[in-house]
Amino acid sequence: MNNQLLRHLTRIFLIVLVAQVGALKAQTVLDLSGTWRFQTDVMDFRRGSLSPRYNHLLQETIQLPGITDDHQIGYKNPYKYIDRLTRKYEYMGPAWYQRDIEIPADWKGKRIFMYFERTHWLSSIYVDTKEVSQIDYISVPHNHDLTDFVKPGKTHRITVCIDNRFQYKTHKWNHAHTEFTQINWNGILGEMKLIAIDPVFVEDLQVYPNIADNSIKVRLQVNNDTKKQVKGKANFTITGPNYNLKSEATVVSNDSVTFVESTIQLGKNVKLWDEFNPNLYQITAQLNTSDGKTNYQHTKSDTFGMREVKQGKSHVLLNNRPIHLRGNVENAVFPKTGYAPVDDASWERIMLLMKDYGLNHLRFHSWCPPKAAFRMADKHGIYFEVEMPMWGKDAEPDEDRYNFFRREIKAILKEYGNHPSFVLYCNGNEITGNFDFIEELTAEGRKLDSRHLFSGSTARTRVKSDQYYVSQQTNKGPVKVYEGLPNTDWDRSAESDVDVPVISHESGQRCVYPNFEEIKKYANSPVEARNFEVFKDLLQKNGMLDQANDFFRASGALTVLEYKAVIEALLRSSKSAGFQLLSINDFPGQGYAPVGILDPFWDSKGLVTPEKFKEFCGPTVALLRYEKSAYFNNETFMGKAEVYNYSNAALKNAKLKWWLTDETGKVLQKGNLKTQTIGNDGVFPVGEFAIPLKGITNKQKLTVHISVNDQIKNSWDIWVYPPHQNLMQSTDQVLYTTVYNDAAKKQLAQGKTVVLYPSPNQVKGRKSVFHNHFWNPIMFAWPPMTIGSLIHNKQGMFNDFSTSYHTDWQWWDILNNAKVIEMQNAPEKLRPFIQIIDSYDNNQKLGIGFEAKMNGGKLLVLALDTQKDMDKRPATQQLLYSIDHYVKGNQFAPEVQVEESFIQSFLTK
Amino acid sequence: MKWRILWSLGILATQALHAQEISLDKKASLTQVYLPAVTSEQLLSMNDLNVEFGYVLYQTEITTQSDSEELELENVRDYAAVYVNGKLQGTLTDNRKKMAIKTEPGKYLLQIYVENIGRITYGPEITDNSKGLFGGITLDGNDIENWKMLPLNVRKFPIKNLTFESSLSDGNPGFYKGTFSLEGLKNTYLDISGWGMGEVWINSKYLGSYWEEEKQRSILIPTEDLVQGENEIVVFELKHHQQKTMKLSQTPVFK
Repeated sequence: MNNQLLRHLTRIFLIVLVAQVGALKAQTVLDLSGTWRFQTDVMDFRRGSLSPRYNHLLQETIQLPGITDDHQIGYKNPYKYIDRLTRKYEYMGPAWYQRDIEIPADWKGKRIFMYFERTHWLSSIYVDTKEVSQIDYISVPHNHDLTDFVKPGKTHRITVCIDNRFQYKTHKWNHAHTEFTQINWNGILGEMKLIAIDPVFVEDLQVYPNIADNSIKVRLQVNNDTKKQVKGKANFTITGPNYNLKSEATVVSNDSVTFVESTIQLGKNVKLWDEFNPNLYQITAQLNTSDGKTNYQHTKSDTFGMREVKQGKSHVLLNNRPIHLRGNVENAVFPKTGYAPVDDASWERIMLLMKDYGLNHLRFHSWCPPKAAFRMADKHGIYFEVEMPMWGKDAEPDEDRYNFFRREIKAILKEYGNHPSFVLYCNGNEITGNFDFIEELTAEGRKLDSRHLFSGSTARTRVKSDQYYVSQQTNKGPVKVYEGLPNTDWDRSAESDVDVPVISHESGQRCVYPNFEEIKKYANSPVEARNFEVFKDLLQKNGMLDQANDFFRASGALTVLEYKAVIEALLRSSKSAGFQLLSINDFPGQGYAPVGILDPFWDSKGLVTPEKFKEFCGPTVALLRYEKSAYFNNETFMGKAEVYNYSNAALKNAKLKWWLTDETGKVLQKGNLKTQTIGNDGVFPVGEFAIPLKGITNKQKLTVHISVNDQIKNSWDIWVYPPHQNLMQSTDQVLYTTVYNDAAKKQLAQGKTVVLYPSPNQVKGRKSVFHNHFWNPIMFAWPPMTIGSLIHNKQGMFNDFSTSYHTDWQWWDILNNAKVIEMQNAPEKLRPFIQIIDSYDNNQKLGIGFEAKMNGGKLLVLALDTQKDMDKRPATQQLLYSIDHYVKGNQFAPEVQVEESFIQSFLTK
Repeated sequence: MKWRILWSLGILATQALHAQEISLDKKASLTQVYLPAVTSEQLLSMNDLNVEFGYVLYQTEITTQSDSEELELENVRDYAAVYVNGKLQGTLTDNRKKMAIKTEPGKYLLQIYVENIGRITYGPEITDNSKGLFGGITLDGNDIENWKMLPLNVRKFPIKNLTFESSLSDGNPGFYKGTFSLEGLKNTYLDISGWGMGEVWINSKYLGSYWEEEKQRSILIPTEDLVQGENEIVVFELKHHQQKTMKLSQTPVFK
C-alpha cells in the first residue's frame, strides 16, 4: 500500500470515528446552556416564594452559564465602598433557575447526572415538586445524580436553587467567594449539562507516574449499579506527540464499587514534564463490561505528565531535581467578570504573563482554581500551590465546618490530582485554632495522594505532616522580604534552614498610588472603582488633582525598585525554596492594595517592561552583593557576583563581564571575571571585582552591569558624590538657622534669604520613611501612611544633586533622617520640592523641603537631620551642597507667598 | 551476616545519639541585657518605647492586701510572663488577660516580661497595632502605677560577653549555658521539649526560637554551625520550668 493511500484511508477512518463519537455524544449529553426561567428569593421565606411544590413557573428569564450580576439582578448598590471595588448589583441569597427538560427515551437503564462545572455555594435540584439532590462543594464541579428521580421519555420540570450564602461559618475573606476580589456571585459557570452513562462506569481515573521505570499506575474506580456481577476489560490508550500506546486490564465487579489497578510501562520514549518541557500525555480508559446479557461501555479521559514531586532538604524536588519557585500570589482578582474565568484562553493569558515576567509558580491563596487553570499551567509549565477556602479561625472547633473541609480536600485531590501542574497543596491561609485538625487533614492528604507535597497552613503553626512551609518566619527568624535595602550583601538562607523546604510568604506588598485612569475600565464590569472616585475627589478638593499621575508614576517606580531588591534578596537565599510575590497584579480589596505592576485586569501599568523585570526574575539571574548605593568619590565599589541558575542546564565555560556606565550609557570601566562553568539548580558565587571611584569628579548616577555569556544581564544603580566640608555656611545674604527666631525674621524683612532646617524632632508630623506603605494604608493604618515621594527634579535646588522624579536608593539616608511636614494649609500653589505622597484616603499635601516668599524675603525649609553621622551620608551632603549653591545663586526666586503662621504651624513650640 | 550485625550496631549507635542529653548548668542573669529604663506613671506600649519587636520588662512595686488578688490588664501583645518577687506566677495573652496573684499580704516586686511576636495582620485589632502592655492595669480593681520599663537586648547582645555563674539558681528568666561533645557532624535537631519560651544560640551563633505552645518541638542545627568536639549552647528562657537539660535528635520532633 502506498503512503498516500494509507494517509487517505486514515483520514476516512478518522472522519468515521469523529462522526461516531459525535453521534454518541448527541445521544448521551444534553447541553443545558441557554435561557432558563429565573426568580430571585431575597426573603428566603418558606424555601422560596415560588414554591416548587406547586410546580409553579418561574416568572423571569436569565442566560446560563452566567451570574446574576450579568443581568443587573439584585440590590442596586448606591454606595461607594472605600475598602474594595463596589459591586453594582449585590445579591446574596437563594436564586431559582428552571427549565422543563425532556429526558430522552433511549436513556432508559442509564445513569443520569446533572453537571455544573462551577457554582457556589450550595446547589439543590428539584425534579418537578421534589428536592432530590444537594451539593455544597466550592472547589470542584457539582455532579448531581438524578437517575432515581427522572424518567426517560418524560418531560420534567427541573428547578435549581443556587444559594451563595455562607453555608458554614468560614472566614469571609477567602478568595473562593470574597467580595474583596472575585465577588460572591450567584450563578452557574462553565459546562452545564445532563449526562447519561451506562450503569457500569468509570467514576474515577487517577494516574500515578513512576519516573524511575517510565511507568504509570492507573487506578480506576468502577461503579456498578446493576446489582449483578459484571466482567470485562478496561482498554487504555495513551497518546502524546509521536506517542501511542495501548494496554488493557481485566475487570471483574461483584460490588457497587470496584477498584482496578494497572501498571503500564510507557517505555523509554516517554518524556518527562517540567517547566521547561511541559510534555503532556492523554490517557483514555474505555470500560467494556457485560453481565452476560447486557453490554456496558463507558469512556473516561484525562491528561497527565510524567513527573514526580518530592521533599528535598531545602527545595521542592521535581523529577529529583531541586526547583526554585518564583511565584505570584493569585487571589482570584477578576473584576472584568466578577468571577474566576473557566475558559482556557483567559487562563492561558495569565500563564503566559507568568512566563513573560520570569515566574514559574502561582499560589492560589485560600482557593482552588477551575480546571482550565490547571490545563493551561500543565501546558505552559507553571507550578501550582492550591488551597481550600480556609483562613484564620476556620480550624477552631466546629464539626460541620470540619466535615465540609474533610470533604473538600478529597474532592480537590480527586478532581485535579492528575494535573502535573498541581505540585503543592496547602489547607489554607494563616490558619488558627485546633492544629490537631490541621494535622489530620494534612496527614490524610499525604495518605491519599503521593503526587503533591502537603502543608498544614501558611504562616502559622507547623504540623508534623508538613512537607514544605510557606511562611513569613520560621523558628530561625524572618524569611519574608517586604522591602529592599541600599545594600545587597544579605539573604534569608539561615532563616530558611529548617526541616522542610521554606517558601517566603507574601513578599513585596509595596503600595503604589492609585491610577485614576483605571476608573473607566470598569464600564462593563459587575464592579466599579467608586473608591477611586472618592480618592480622586479628595485629591481635587485638596488642590492636587493635576499631580495624580505624577503620584502614580513616582510611587510606582519605587515599587518596581523595591521588587527588584526583594526578589534578588530571595534569589540570593540559596537555602530558600522560593517566594510568592504579593503581587504582580493589584489586589482590589482589604482596603484596596494597588501593589502590582499590573492592574486588577492583569494589564501592565507601564511601570516596568517584562524584559526589564526578567533581568532580575527568571530561571537564570546575575546577582551582585555590595555594601551600599551612595559613595564618596574617594571610595571603591566592591562587588561580589553570583549567578542564580535554576534553568534547564549548567552554563558551560560561561563568560562573565562587568562594566560601569554613566547616565549617557558611556562605559567608564570594565572587566571580566574568570570564565567558568556555572552549575545548575543553585546560587553560585562567580567572583569579585573592585571599581575605584576616584576618577568620578562630578556628582553622578552610575550603573554597574554584569553579563553572563552576553545574554543574561542585570544592572544596579549607584551614586557617586564628592565629599563636602563646611556646608551650610551663613553669609550676609543667606542665613542658615535651625530655629525660626528674630534673626530669621529680620533677615527676611531685609529681603534676604533664610534657610530654615529644623531638627526633625522639632517638626510636627509623620516620620519620614524611604519605603512606600506596606500593602495599603486603609487596612494597615500604621506608619508611615505615605506612598513614597515625588521629587520635583527639574527645579534648581537639584541642579547639583542627581535624581529622577522618584526616589531611588541614594535617597535612603535623606528620607530616613527627615520629618514629613503637613502642608495642606499652605497656599494651594505651593508645591514642596521634596513632596511626600499621602495615603490616598487622606490625600493631604506633605513635604520635606519647600521654598516660599515670606515677609519680604526668600525662605527655604528643609526638615532634615544634618548632624548625625554626616561622614557616612554622601547623598545628604550633596543635597545640602546643591541647595546651598542654589540659594546663593541667582536662580532662587520663590513664587508663592506664605504666612508666618504656616511656618509656626508645623514647628513644635 | 557479619554485615548485618555491623549495620545493627550502627543503628544502636544512632539511637544512642538520639538521646544525647545536654546539661545546661550555668546561668547568666538577665540584668546584663537591660537597655536604659523608661519610667512612667502609666504603662507605655512598645511602640512608645521604640521597640519594634522583642522583649520588654515592665516592673513596679505592688502592695497586696489579701492572699489572692486579681491582676487584670487591658491589653497584652502578645505574650507575658508574670513574676512576683522573682517567682513565675503565670502567663497572659490577649485572649487571657486576668490572673490571680497569690501572696501573703505585703509589698512585692511585680515583673512582667512581654514578648511582641509581630504585627497583627487581620482581625478587629488590625488598625491598632500597638504592642507590649498598654491601657489599664489593675490589682483587685485598683490601678497599678509608677512603671519602670526595661527593653531587653536579647537578640542583639553579644552572647560571648554574658557572664555565667554555676550557682545562680533563682527563679527569674535568664540565659542558660551548657556544652555538648560531638564526634561526627551531621544535621541535628535540638529537642526543646519541656522548655517554655525562648531563644537559642549554638557556638555564639543565633540558632532560633521556641515556644511550648507550638506543635514543633525542635530546631534544626545546621552542620556548619557545629564543630568536632565541644560545642556550646546558650538558651534564653522567659518562663522558668526548672528544666536543666535539652536533647539532640536525628529527626524533627513534633508534639
